[in-house]
Amino acid sequence: MGENNATIELKQISKQFKDNKIINELNLSIQAGEFLVLLGPSGCGKSTTLRMIAGLEEPTTGDVLINGKKLKQIDEDGHTVAMVFQDYALYPNMTVYQNLEYALKVHKIPVQSRRSRIEAVLKILNLTNYKNRLPSQLSGGQKQRVAVGRGMVKKSKIFLLDEPLSNIDIQLREKARDEIQNMHLENRQTIVYVTHDQLEAMALGDRIAVMDQGIIQMIDTPENIYNKPTNLFVAKFIGTPQINIIEIELNNGQVLFNNKPIMKPSTYKLDSKKYYLGIRPENFSCSKTERNEFSFEVMVDNIIDYGRFVQLSLITKDNEYLKATVNKFDFQKGETINVTLDQSTSIIFDQTTGKNLYWGNYE
Amino acid sequence: MFDKGKINYWHLLLILVVLIAILPILFMVSNSFKTLRDSYNTMLSLIPLRPTLNNYLMLNRQVNLLTLTWNTFLMAAIVTIGKLLTGLLTAYAFRSYRFKGKMFVYLIFVSTIFVPFTIIMIPNYLVIAKLNLLNNVLGVALPQLCDATGIMIFLKTMEKIPNTLIDAAKVDNIPNRKIFFNIVIPILKPSIVSVGAIFFINSWNEYVWPTLILKDKASFTLPLALQNYISSEGGTNFPLAMALSTIMVILPLIIYLIFQKYILNSISTSGLK
Repeated sequence: MGENNATIELKQISKQFKDNKIINELNLSIQAGEFLVLLGPSGCGKSTTLRMIAGLEEPTTGDVLINGKKLKQIDEDGHTVAMVFQDYALYPNMTVYQNLEYALKVHKIPVQSRRSRIEAVLKILNLTNYKNRLPSQLSGGQKQRVAVGRGMVKKSKIFLLDEPLSNIDIQLREKARDEIQNMHLENRQTIVYVTHDQLEAMALGDRIAVMDQGIIQMIDTPENIYNKPTNLFVAKFIGTPQINIIEIELNNGQVLFNNKPIMKPSTYKLDSKKYYLGIRPENFSCSKTERNEFSFEVMVDNIIDYGRFVQLSLITKDNEYLKATVNKFDFQKGETINVTLDQSTSIIFDQTTGKNLYWGNYE
Repeated sequence: MFDKGKINYWHLLLILVVLIAILPILFMVSNSFKTLRDSYNTMLSLIPLRPTLNNYLMLNRQVNLLTLTWNTFLMAAIVTIGKLLTGLLTAYAFRSYRFKGKMFVYLIFVSTIFVPFTIIMIPNYLVIAKLNLLNNVLGVALPQLCDATGIMIFLKTMEKIPNTLIDAAKVDNIPNRKIFFNIVIPILKPSIVSVGAIFFINSWNEYVWPTLILKDKASFTLPLALQNYISSEGGTNFPLAMALSTIMVILPLIIYLIFQKYILNSISTSGLK
């Protein structure tokens, strides 16, 4: 715990609106100075979680602790938490400068230190030339920077961002993302960042918490979220094109797909029954000519060339659809090719619980 | 929408409507500058034969115009400020607090719009008499300090303020009082001005309720004084009545001219996002 940041702890948090349970006994502990991304589909409860950390919603049960204390007890001067909203929420009747100044003024920060803080932030965000403009005279990207700036001048220990980039043009989004990252590297506040965009989450987060139906499905580094998802939901939610999920059968270690072995027998002891096998599109080897004992035949249904990579839609003999991405290809639509799956990156999920069984393929 | 051949017909219609609207006002102004005899002989002519200021001078001798105007202004100002303040505060409470029976309370407020004035006239009168406020502008203003129309209009405009704006202020620990005065009020300024102007003009022209409360000539408002010139006891000096009417119209007209940008704006944008 440093001067610039604070720990956040959610203990057994539930939130209910009438009969609708949004958050279900959620536990989350965020380290001081960490950049945590809450990622999930819309309606998964990520924004509600953020609003509870901000003190805008009271949890139905459970506690939100900041540096071990409840928010209400420490937030008298309003400087613990800053929040940036999706629609920026700039005060429309105040200029850029006044927007940054307002909270400081209300909390009686002396004029001199107010001015130096605001000027410094305006400079960092390249807004000095716009300080006398009203929000309605700014572009989306500029508004977003003012919104971030309004949080920065408060020098809060905790910075909450609710989908701050989703209203900006794609071209500007990456730049804005870098700015947020730089801000974090420089000031090391604790950041909680809500998004439904997995690329944003992967790029920004020290850790990502993937949420669905009011429950944190997995919380880990971006790398582990992608490579070792704990369950089917996380596996399917992360990655474009989506991970391929096929039904396989284990029979005394043999991995059978449509009654044909497709991988080396596993040494890991798993019951002989049906499972789901997850394999990311980039972990296919495709070839017209080469084949081996584990390859199987598929028909190329569609080819989309994205420039950076080529996405193939494949159909197996039993009419199952698969997606593969390759860098080079020499086949035509409608041709039959051989594919081999990379065993070391494959994931086995239990069919009833959807849980990753970590079947001993990881190095 | 219009092609060139049709445009003239539409304009004809508009000109006709404008004439119908403005004719009584021109009639009033022109007769206020006529002598009594001219007024009876050429009542409909818009240009006085022998223009005279005599009516205004005589009026000034008969009644204290300054006191009349001040009384009317005071009454209208108190009523307008009262209605705006209570309307804004109530609307903000409905906008930002969750409480049990909110919808029910709101409906009760709104339903008061449909209670005719004649029904509450007598109870109100008795209360004002008990409070010893007869012959007092305050007595006229007091029962009118709150108006559900204002609450309704302000609530509708406040609902257009995004929640995140209020949330942003709450995260910064801005007290509710400051959110209301520094953020909500400035955003609502156009609708406050236009609703306020309408409240003011209505109250300025009010007649029935003030006649009940104000008996003493010193406390009269302009509409009451005007009544003295057109009622059976007031005689038949028609140009004099027109002169007083003209004086009465001036202030609302100025207010309307100053704020017409806001008023037109709020009429044309109400119902739009």
